[in-house]
Amino acid sequence: MATTAQGRTRQAPIYVDTRIPSPIPSVLQVDPALREEGDILEVNFGPNHPSTHGVLRLIVELNGERVEGVEAVIGYLHTGFEKNMEQKTWWKAITYPERIDYLSFQINELAFVLAIEKLLGVEPPPKATWMRTLLCELSRIHSHLIWLGTGALELGAISLLWYCFRERDAVLDLFELVTGVRMHTRYFQAGGLAEDIPPGFYTECRKFADMFPGRVDEYEALLDRQAIWLERTKGIGLLSAEDAIALGQSGPVLRASGVDWDLRKVEPYLAYDQVDFDVPVYFNGDVYDRYKVRMDEMRESTRIVQQCLDGMPEGPWIVDDRKIVLPPRHELHTSMESLIHHFKLVTEGYRVPAGEVYVAVESARGELGCYVVSDGGSKPWRVKFRAPSFVALEATATTVRGSLVADLIAILGSLDTVMGDCDR
Amino acid sequence: MPGFASVSEARGETTVIVETARLREAAEFLRDERGFNFLSDIAAADYLGWNERTVAGYWGHRAGRDINLPGSWGLAKKPEPKAKRFSISYQLLAVVSGARVAPRVRVQVWCDDGEPVPSVVSVWPTADWHEREAYDLMGIPFEGHPNLKRILMDDDWEGHPLRKDYPIGGEPVRFSGAE
Amino acid sequence: MRRKGPGVFEQELGDLESKLGLTTVEKAVAWAQGHSIWPDTFGLACCAMEMIAIVGSRYDVARFGAEVFRSSPRQADLMIVSGRVSHKMAAPLRQIYDQMLEPKWVIAMGACASSGGMFSNYAVLQGVDKIVPVDVHVPGCPPRPEALLEGIVRLQEKILAGVPPAYEIREVAS
Repeated sequence: MATTAQGRTRQAPIYVDTRIPSPIPSVLQVDPALREEGDILEVNFGPNHPSTHGVLRLIVELNGERVEGVEAVIGYLHTGFEKNMEQKTWWKAITYPERIDYLSFQINELAFVLAIEKLLGVEPPPKATWMRTLLCELSRIHSHLIWLGTGALELGAISLLWYCFRERDAVLDLFELVTGVRMHTRYFQAGGLAEDIPPGFYTECRKFADMFPGRVDEYEALLDRQAIWLERTKGIGLLSAEDAIALGQSGPVLRASGVDWDLRKVEPYLAYDQVDFDVPVYFNGDVYDRYKVRMDEMRESTRIVQQCLDGMPEGPWIVDDRKIVLPPRHELHTSMESLIHHFKLVTEGYRVPAGEVYVAVESARGELGCYVVSDGGSKPWRVKFRAPSFVALEATATTVRGSLVADLIAILGSLDTVMGDCDR
Repeated sequence: MPGFASVSEARGETTVIVETARLREAAEFLRDERGFNFLSDIAAADYLGWNERTVAGYWGHRAGRDINLPGSWGLAKKPEPKAKRFSISYQLLAVVSGARVAPRVRVQVWCDDGEPVPSVVSVWPTADWHEREAYDLMGIPFEGHPNLKRILMDDDWEGHPLRKDYPIGGEPVRFSGAE
Repeated sequence: MRRKGPGVFEQELGDLESKLGLTTVEKAVAWAQGHSIWPDTFGLACCAMEMIAIVGSRYDVARFGAEVFRSSPRQADLMIVSGRVSHKMAAPLRQIYDQMLEPKWVIAMGACASSGGMFSNYAVLQGVDKIVPVDVHVPGCPPRPEALLEGIVRLQEKILAGVPPAYEIREVAS
């Protein structure tokens, strides 16, 4: 490590040629010379705006139509999840993470449940693992459908909203069939799944998986070579691979910048090492490439769903350890131990041994991490979620550099931020 | 490694504790010499009241759990008190395009209330907002951060909500049948 | 104790209708207002996804008169508060409500907008009726699209019956 005489180290070579603004990486500031000339208009893209994907506020400084300065103000949906989860037992706290990223909700639940299982040291049975994989991929499809519907709506391709929401209702029908609720299903439990898979699900899921790739082809037929779409997305919102890594981007944004990095391949969890799928990587780092990555991901997710349906093992859906899992109800009439376990689990909850873990999963937006600290008691001591949307918004200043106001909308759509995930 | 204090491994994760004053040097070492070019997360935790109540653990492992083992619930005891109040964990990752391994390490520093922690924004620009969040919610002042102001709470909010001595807030539930 | 149960809403509306005794012109105006409520795009969190679902072709709120969701509050009649309202968002929410022109209605969609939901903590406003007068509360977390449609239909029935908007009933500033 080279040090200068003043004791400061030289900058690492990866930050040469960077487009990250300085000194503040997340705020693009107007060039002082330009400000001297006058004519800078400060516009507030307020928290209530149809195109900001939730309650995001951007303070934009415009020179005509060109964006010269941007600062993102967040916190309008701060809900205090982390503090609320510290007040509830481990079992009850599982309802909270789902509402953080409300588009790919089961993946959030998965991150927290995997962290609890890592601390407890239990391994869920194979049926639960494969079913979790299937549901997470359906959540990913659900998230990308909403992204495409609303993103295309903002750029003018209004009919895609109706097509994507038609498919979204099909996915939600599947969730309702399995878990009983459309959104925020609360199906994952520490040790497996909450209940067994109902009959009829496999047939319906297979029908969906057979129908869906044709629909993705329809969307691409509408957009891929449409002149207006190409004008509005090609070459817009550039982010190089080095800048993406420096800014902590992950998921489709990183893969569209040319970095082949997907946690499902690199750090396989659940059943991802037993299914066959490709990771789409594109190299231009613009809005069009992020769109292509997500479209390809929808197809790959359907492939994974079909393989999960083919390879779904039989067996129990939750681990048999009565210290963390409720005993079956029919046993409560005959077994005293089951009754005691049931009582203790419902009133006090199970206890998780002391320690700290960090579990990272690949959500539809990127690396979703869950850092859990336990003191050995029945309530979490500290839960922290690494939210991919929070980090994606840090890249706003870099990607928006040199663009027009209309491009700002396209870029925000391509970063695919969910404000619940950002503000927690 | 500069500033190294201790290392521990548990559940497949490596945690390196670093002296607070030499954090920036340690960070640059890890980024340049060890290839940890990606900062996933900065998580601050407050350990106020850590050893006040007794807890017991569930002694299990991946091979299973022997419930016939006497005392497998563990004896109820208080956890060891921590030396300082706050811990700040930096989750690092080495991203190499096309790799099929993900080396991770957790770098941890410990500090007391009001003790400044050097900022790593110059090392990993993504730390900008993470440090602002840790300042906003936990009140940890980062030294050298170019824009340290509140991010999630209102600008004129008083107090740091995620601290253990900050009340949960909210409203008590009123039941209509109770009247 | 107030009576509860199915049919009570319709009964109370019927009583109210005969009590208020609207003239033909007022009835016509109420018919026009009730059947053309245009909501404002005020989606905050998860409930907003179900709110967008009612725009979709399966649930189709356009057949109830809410043809378009207006982005500008000056052109909207109905504010569907869909999602948790944090204290930071409370001020913009009130500002949007103030910008709407009379008559205006508010539906608190979901548990979080009605009462703070599962988030009884420092960050979330415990019920949006602390800052704006609410006409209809729709329970659920999130409410199904059919539940939100039921809420909109009940609001329509209230308007057709002649019930004034909530700010007149509560005599609060609008």
